[in-house]
Amino acid sequence: MTISATPVNPLRAGLRIPRTPEPCALVVFGATGDLTARKLMPALYNLARERLLPAGFSVVGFARRPWTDADFRAAMREAIEKFSREPLQSDIWDTFARSLHYVSGTFGDIDGYERLGERLLAEDSAHGSAGNRVFYLATPPGAYAEIAHHLGEANLSRSPSGGWTRLVVEKPFGSDLESARKLDQSLGLVFRERQIFRIDHYLGKETVQNIMVFRFGNGIFEPIWNRRYVDNVQVSVAETVGLEGRGGYYDQSGALRDMVQNHLLQVLALVAMEPVATLTGEGVRDEKAKVLRAVKPIEDVDRLTVRAQYTAGAINGLRVPGYRDEPDVGDRSLTETYVALKLGIENWRWADVPFYLRVGKRLPKRATEVAITFRSAPLQLFREMRADNPTPNLLVLRIQPDEGISLRFGAKVPGTRMDVRPVNMDFRYGTSFGIEPPEAYERLLLDAMIGDSTLFTRWDSVEAAWEVLTPVLGAWAAGASPLHYYEAGTWGPDEARSLVERDGREWHRM
Amino acid sequence: MASDVTAAIDRIAERPMPVDPPAIEAEFLAIWRDASGSGYDQSSIRLRVLNFVAVGYRQEDAQRFDGTMQVLPARHPCRGILALGAGEAERLEASISARCWRLPTGARHMCSEEVRLTGRRDRAQELASALLGLLVPELPVTVWLMDEPDVDGWVAMDLLDVADRVFFDSAAEQDLASTYQRLLRAARQFELELSDLAWGRLSPWRELIAQCFDGDRIGQLDKITAIEVDFAREHLPSEALLLAGWLVSRLGLSLADLDVSSGERIRATLYARTRGVTVTLTPAGSAAPCAISELRIRTADVTISVAMHAANSHMHVREQWDGEPVHRTVASAPEDDASVITRMLDEFADPAIYADAVGSALALLGT
Repeated sequence: MTISATPVNPLRAGLRIPRTPEPCALVVFGATGDLTARKLMPALYNLARERLLPAGFSVVGFARRPWTDADFRAAMREAIEKFSREPLQSDIWDTFARSLHYVSGTFGDIDGYERLGERLLAEDSAHGSAGNRVFYLATPPGAYAEIAHHLGEANLSRSPSGGWTRLVVEKPFGSDLESARKLDQSLGLVFRERQIFRIDHYLGKETVQNIMVFRFGNGIFEPIWNRRYVDNVQVSVAETVGLEGRGGYYDQSGALRDMVQNHLLQVLALVAMEPVATLTGEGVRDEKAKVLRAVKPIEDVDRLTVRAQYTAGAINGLRVPGYRDEPDVGDRSLTETYVALKLGIENWRWADVPFYLRVGKRLPKRATEVAITFRSAPLQLFREMRADNPTPNLLVLRIQPDEGISLRFGAKVPGTRMDVRPVNMDFRYGTSFGIEPPEAYERLLLDAMIGDSTLFTRWDSVEAAWEVLTPVLGAWAAGASPLHYYEAGTWGPDEARSLVERDGREWHRM
Repeated sequence: MASDVTAAIDRIAERPMPVDPPAIEAEFLAIWRDASGSGYDQSSIRLRVLNFVAVGYRQEDAQRFDGTMQVLPARHPCRGILALGAGEAERLEASISARCWRLPTGARHMCSEEVRLTGRRDRAQELASALLGLLVPELPVTVWLMDEPDVDGWVAMDLLDVADRVFFDSAAEQDLASTYQRLLRAARQFELELSDLAWGRLSPWRELIAQCFDGDRIGQLDKITAIEVDFAREHLPSEALLLAGWLVSRLGLSLADLDVSSGERIRATLYARTRGVTVTLTPAGSAAPCAISELRIRTADVTISVAMHAANSHMHVREQWDGEPVHRTVASAPEDDASVITRMLDEFADPAIYADAVGSALALLGT
């Protein structure tokens, strides 16, 4: 993984963590918001308690509310008590809280940025953070360009004392190809690409990272990881939840923009990319971008995509409303809450292997999986012998919950007859390592502070992903493909089943 | 890292057995068959990623092994084997047991196996032979020498030939110079990967100290004028000596002058090129749960203090630059043997760093 070039600390040799962030200040725009309270602050607190934050570290919250440092600390304490995976310990909190500060200002108020600059200089002096800054935009995406512009205007995008500055932005990065390009241009006026860290929290998940280890750290899988042995690949994200208060945003976005453009295509890229020569951030991101650029353009949108919206139904024994009855959703909304796609990758490894993607809300269970179905054995020896054949080998990478990997193969049922039955060989993180993986945000925040961009999305990948979906967005906007409906608590519309069944396949059962 | 699997432990069985590896294997199979068929736990998973072998010569080692097996398998599912050379019984005795941990999600259990072999100390050879027959094939073997690290003796009994890693605790020894020399020789001679629990207990100290010199602060390493270690023991503990030895070796300091008072207080003058650095190890009370109470590093610009507050399971870092002191508190409870072993198994060993630290520790002892 890449590390920013700094002199090597001889005391780091042989330590559990060979890399650690340099002293720095983390500025959180949108510091009073939900993301800060639910994810960022608990992650920072847990990094602090586990000795993973640098010695000179401070957080400066920036938001509109007229809070003081004390108000900010009180709110963050409450957030940690509520959302942290580890309980708050007063002694640790007391010293952590001293590093929390707050600057009040609106995103369009240049005076606020100047006050922020003064505050950061004071932090450099007090904590020795040497002008190193991470600006984290935990704000609505519409504010990204404005904040970046003002950071540049206030000379905050460049460190005053030879340090580094980085910008972390959350997805979505644009709402289509054009808006994404426009946003990229806006950020590019102020920050260079190497300074921009586009966060996709899926990439911080242990199993997603394990896809690379699984593929490239083992000798047995890569030789069969190609069109000769793989029949099809399915990437599925099933959610039981509805909108959870995000109706205003989601109704503008929909499942394609909210999930497929980033999470699903990033996971697809990790599954399909070529091996990297070295495990550097740029090496991995180069290969991911190549795969996304090799995705076959979706020409027949009606045949290769399915969009649907949930209606009222029941989940886990509870009645739930239909999408259009959710708060902040229009009565006639045509926003999709379910998407299924069939993609192809035009390269030597994957030509003619279909990649099926599906994502949906209000499905019967919460699960994210990559299922790789292998071609059947060339000769079906056991076809006539009460076997369940042809049951192809199936490799499932479970991303959440219960992260792990399972492999299905046929085994002889004990007895005098030659009965064959599919069995599963299971690896689970929880059992093999006895611990649960850390929160994705802990890993990603740490990497952003360290400067390791491997798990962040580079602009060319973002652009390529939008290019893949642009024909779909266009066709859907033009009404070329009908919006289907599915009852909440079911596995989606019949049309999604047809998408794979007409190829003689079926969705992997989650 | 996130919290471990739940500590709820169920012991499935504890059965005396003849010292007969095939019979023991058969009994384990029976236990698992019973467990899965009894309705007790339809979803128990027998997991073994490690052979964990503990060898000891004192009766209390059985309790130490038991304590370790209450912690270790939850993180490193294993077959645990205790070879206890203690007691007066004429014949070797064995007992087996298994215990399970309920996983955080659902009703699934993960289960580990334990074998205890006991016999008189003079029958250690037979204990070792029985033990070798009980190792699960193809899994790494970790050996914990619970008492004096009689490496030569155990090597002679073939035990260490099969070991991938050997744990011992130099802090349990009074004669540190002799212990270090013996272990370094054995590591070289037998190509063993030695893991010193005293060294493992220093990880939080080393991490916090290293953090203070990251980034632009790295320049402070060239300005260090004094390293002061306060230890909370009557006699100089291995941890304090290894910590000082680690800093001396990593900073490339050369010894110029040494004053050792009865092995309990050390004052040394060292040099990095023309710059002098004093290293002192000083007793500061005793009977604290951790061997080191405080470390101070003085540079021309800053005094950094790292202290363990065992009572509240925290460590405190204090930096005194020109202005107000900066404080930081992190979680770090004093660890028992089981926790240290569990953690060290997670980490890559660093034999060269340790060997360098031991080399410098020996220099600070005047040997």
